[in-house]
Amino acid sequence: MSTTSSGRPPGRTGRTRRAVQAAVAALATVTLTAACAAGGPAEAGGGSGEPREGGDIVFLIDSLGDTWIPNNSSISSFQGHVWGHVTDKLVYVDAEGEVSPWVAESWEQNDDATQFTLHLKDGVTFSDGSPLDAAAVVENLDTWAFGAPDAGISPVGLFPKTYDRAEAVDESTVEVYFDAPTLGFVPTLGYHGSILVSPETLALPAEEQADLSNDIGSGPFVVESWKEGDSVVLTKREDYDWGPEAVGHTGPAYLDTITYKLVAESSTRTGAVQSGQADVAYNATPQELDSFKEQGFSVDVPRYLGFVNGYRLNTRVAPFDDTLVRQAFQHGIDRDEILSTVYTEDWSAAEGLIQSNVPEATDHSDSFAYDPELAASLLDEAGWTEGADGVRTKDGEPLELTLYPNPYLATSKAIDELVAQQLGELGFAVDIQAYDVVTFGERVSDNTSLSNYEVTRSFIDVGTVASILTDAENGEDWFGLGQSDERTNELRDAVAQATDLDERAKAVDELQEHLLEEAYFAPVTQIVQRIYVSNPELHDVTYNGVAYASYYTAWLED
Amino acid sequence: MNASYLRFAGRRLLQAVVVVLLAYVFTFVVISVLPGDPVTNTLRNPENGFTEEEIARIVAYYGLDQPVVVQLWQSLSHFVVGDLGVSLRSNLPVTRLVAEVVPSTLALAASALAVALVLAFAVAYGTQNLPRRYGQGVLRALPSLFLSVPAFVVGLLLIQVFAFQLGLFRVIEPDGAWATFFAAVALGIPVSAQVAEVLITGLDHESRQEYAAVARSRGLGQARLFAKHLLKPSSLPVVTVVALTVGELLGGALIIETIFGRTGVGSLVQRSVSTQDLPVLQAVVSLAAVVFVVVNLLADLVYPLLDPRVRLDRAPRKAAGQPGPEQPTPEQPILERQVSVP
Amino acid sequence: MTAATTVVGSWRTASARAWSGAVPPTVLLSFAVLLVVLLWSLLPGVFATQDPVNGVPADKLLGPSAAHWFGTDHLGRDLFARVVHGTASSVTSALVAVTIGVVVGGAIGLVAGSAGGWTDVVLARVVDVLLAIPSFLLAVVIVSSLGFETVNAAIATGVSAVAVFARVMRAEVIKTRRAVFVEASVLQGGSRAHVLLRHVLPNASRSLLALAVLQFGLSILVIAGLAFLGYGDPPPASDWGLLVSSGKDYPTAPWLVYAPALVVVATVLSVNRISRWLRRTA
Repeated sequence: MSTTSSGRPPGRTGRTRRAVQAAVAALATVTLTAACAAGGPAEAGGGSGEPREGGDIVFLIDSLGDTWIPNNSSISSFQGHVWGHVTDKLVYVDAEGEVSPWVAESWEQNDDATQFTLHLKDGVTFSDGSPLDAAAVVENLDTWAFGAPDAGISPVGLFPKTYDRAEAVDESTVEVYFDAPTLGFVPTLGYHGSILVSPETLALPAEEQADLSNDIGSGPFVVESWKEGDSVVLTKREDYDWGPEAVGHTGPAYLDTITYKLVAESSTRTGAVQSGQADVAYNATPQELDSFKEQGFSVDVPRYLGFVNGYRLNTRVAPFDDTLVRQAFQHGIDRDEILSTVYTEDWSAAEGLIQSNVPEATDHSDSFAYDPELAASLLDEAGWTEGADGVRTKDGEPLELTLYPNPYLATSKAIDELVAQQLGELGFAVDIQAYDVVTFGERVSDNTSLSNYEVTRSFIDVGTVASILTDAENGEDWFGLGQSDERTNELRDAVAQATDLDERAKAVDELQEHLLEEAYFAPVTQIVQRIYVSNPELHDVTYNGVAYASYYTAWLED
Repeated sequence: MNASYLRFAGRRLLQAVVVVLLAYVFTFVVISVLPGDPVTNTLRNPENGFTEEEIARIVAYYGLDQPVVVQLWQSLSHFVVGDLGVSLRSNLPVTRLVAEVVPSTLALAASALAVALVLAFAVAYGTQNLPRRYGQGVLRALPSLFLSVPAFVVGLLLIQVFAFQLGLFRVIEPDGAWATFFAAVALGIPVSAQVAEVLITGLDHESRQEYAAVARSRGLGQARLFAKHLLKPSSLPVVTVVALTVGELLGGALIIETIFGRTGVGSLVQRSVSTQDLPVLQAVVSLAAVVFVVVNLLADLVYPLLDPRVRLDRAPRKAAGQPGPEQPTPEQPILERQVSVP
Repeated sequence: MTAATTVVGSWRTASARAWSGAVPPTVLLSFAVLLVVLLWSLLPGVFATQDPVNGVPADKLLGPSAAHWFGTDHLGRDLFARVVHGTASSVTSALVAVTIGVVVGGAIGLVAGSAGGWTDVVLARVVDVLLAIPSFLLAVVIVSSLGFETVNAAIATGVSAVAVFARVMRAEVIKTRRAVFVEASVLQGGSRAHVLLRHVLPNASRSLLALAVLQFGLSILVIAGLAFLGYGDPPPASDWGLLVSSGKDYPTAPWLVYAPALVVVATVLSVNRISRWLRRTA
């Protein structure tokens, strides 16, 4: 759990790894939930023995998001917590990206990955008693893919656009068809967007779906009551019997109730847990974590599968239209200083474009290591000379850039301030422009005229990488390349059209090497977007591939 | 109830209705002044990968593709018949959202007002009855201090001490008695300053009057003089001040509710503001205007009944007993408004 | 700050009584505090020699000490330096807010008061609407529309104060217009504009200025409140309100909240004290 590294596949080397190992050793003494790290079978952490039935927990959260329409809210960082307990998914994806059965017992695919067959578990029911059968799955698949735009319901953001249709072959078999190879389909079924809700809920108009009480799932908990912007109370479902085997428990949950309570102030959330008034505080300030650990509280910082935290650089906008400047930017960032100032030892530096718990991850940290001398010489080479005020200029133009802290990552402002300081020493003039979520959405997210963008993005299947590289097929074109870089186009196709996982992993490795060499992307740290401070008597919490805490397996000590 | 009183009441009522309608329109204009809406915004996030066509259809569902004037007309015509529309953020009916949060804020505001009044009367009493050399100067300085301390600092401090250290209340049950009390203290302190200032001024003025001197010469103790003679005339202007601060209690609730984790009108505004949820903001702003207008209307209507010296044909608000130097009259609203701070 | 000193100047000529008696010591102290604030905003470098933007990351979250009077923040920056360097922007925002209130509100009041008739009725309703919406709520709504930056917070605060100034101005104009010497001026054939400029404005500005001083302190609090809710400027700006707001996330370092809060309280208290004294001695 906490520990960023315990799940790392063996055999990787690097100085961060040693650092993290030391951290793990230090942590083991204070963190009682250490076993869930691997996302595998949950063992009793801290050796406290058998799970105890019963108990109620209070989870303090900084927001409960916006609407509760399942399609529009399932990928929310906040509502995902509730959905994860109220609904099930077809497959389970653990913190290492390993896919295992859940509501889908098994599956097959054809050779070119355009047709999939899902075999469903028998006897799964929604909490209103209706069966979760093939017909219900087909309705869910259609809804994720297409939504109901005219009724105000959007498709699920990350669902493969190559989806064509699904058919119920019999009560427990679903056949799914795609227009093009879609290796990522099965992992996507374990993404937080892919929650199974009852067809009756899907048939409701938007206004009624927005009332959480009307949203019926098949999960281990049901909504007992809720109040908009205030709280959601969940109670366990006694007849639940189809949990994912990967978490080591399939029967009803141990806890009786979970209360999600909105408390906007970070210090109030952690203060409440410290004073025993609540059990879990979400999103604490990283620098405060050490003091919680010292007091004996569990601190979990699970990483999600996805991109690392870093800057994507726009090759169309000065000064990043010059490869040398981009490389200088990469080498000018002191990741160790960021880690030691903004974070605790639970965080680690980025090793490439993607988080190192993604199965396809490979270590590329040498290609962008902190090297201020190299960075300075790159800038010299590019013709940027240092002026009297320490700012470099070229043809009378100063070496300016603006950073836009990502409002979805609390530490983003502090990181940007440090980066500004570090780059300032190299002769960059760095400005910082922070926006709230709405303004950020208006002025930054969709703005192709900005020189950089700070990435905080999870995915469950590495195939997602192909969709951000260029503008082909409605691609996001992160680096402003269009289709101008042949090598990128080639590797994009290799990833997107792969029909074999090993072949794809190799393409991803080459792609990372290429992107980092061209310095299209400047990685900073492995990202932890979800931080949990909890009561040490709460054991066996499970964290899945997108770092949500599941209390299905959890229990409270007497 | 004579004809002039009824005419006066009718005129004020009409004005009140106009003000509430204008507040509704005003909010719409302020929020719509810049292009873009929250729905399009969220959908356009490139991470979603939605097509233009999908986005256009969803935006049309919310009616946000209409010209602004048409949107205003539709929202206004619904408002007039009591339909507040549907929240763009949560997709829930605005009426339901507002109804869910009003009781909590009402409880908070009422408690804050009670705290403010008790505090103000206590301070004012002290200024009249404590010996000059002990504490009177300090007491007279208190209203200024109350006005200078940001409410969020008081709030953070109260939570730290009383919730976390002394364990007097649980932050996860913000509607409990102690939790409400401390939130009310944080919210009520600036309001009490306003009331106390008016009260002290009035008391100073009254105690200089001849009748006070006469009463003293007859051996009436200061405490009894205060209770029997000085308090009543000095309290009349308090009615006006309280009516004027009602809106400020709501404004202050924005910060206090966030700090104390209460789910009320203030926190609803917070959530709606960050997503530019126009229908909810319009509803809350006009609700605030309704409350303000109604309370002031009541104060205006009650005042002539309380104080027969008030003449209705001219300045109806000019009701404050004797013309003291700092009593709230339309001509001197300095005091009335100085506590608009959260 | 500037407003405060100007007021003193005008009151001095207006009322000799204010200076004949002794100035209370608390008022002197208030002036001293405001003087310090003025100096901090004009010459921050003289008072705080440490870098407010670039810190020493290794020295993060240190408590107050001789080296760091207010301690250090999460990036190892000296908090005292940040407070001092943030003074100019905090004071300027409050001044912007007051200026908007005075100019816009004053104009509305002036027109309403001098034009009378339907213009007055219409403007009075507009002012009523602004009065009826709680000023902090109004500021939040406006700032959310304009975008969350300190400048916008200052504008929003200013707009929310318009109604107060408009009411005072209107009342003053009406009062002065009825005054004997103004009526005399009109009878002698003075033009409307002339009468306004020559007589009404100077007389009305006196109470407007007293209100402006008060509003200045108030604006500091409102802008700090907006910053507290997250409607402030981007880092590394160090407005007082922003400092409190970002400090509150570090409960183990309480000085991050209380040191800047103390500066806010001292400043606003001084402004209030002076404004009170001005009204008393008027």
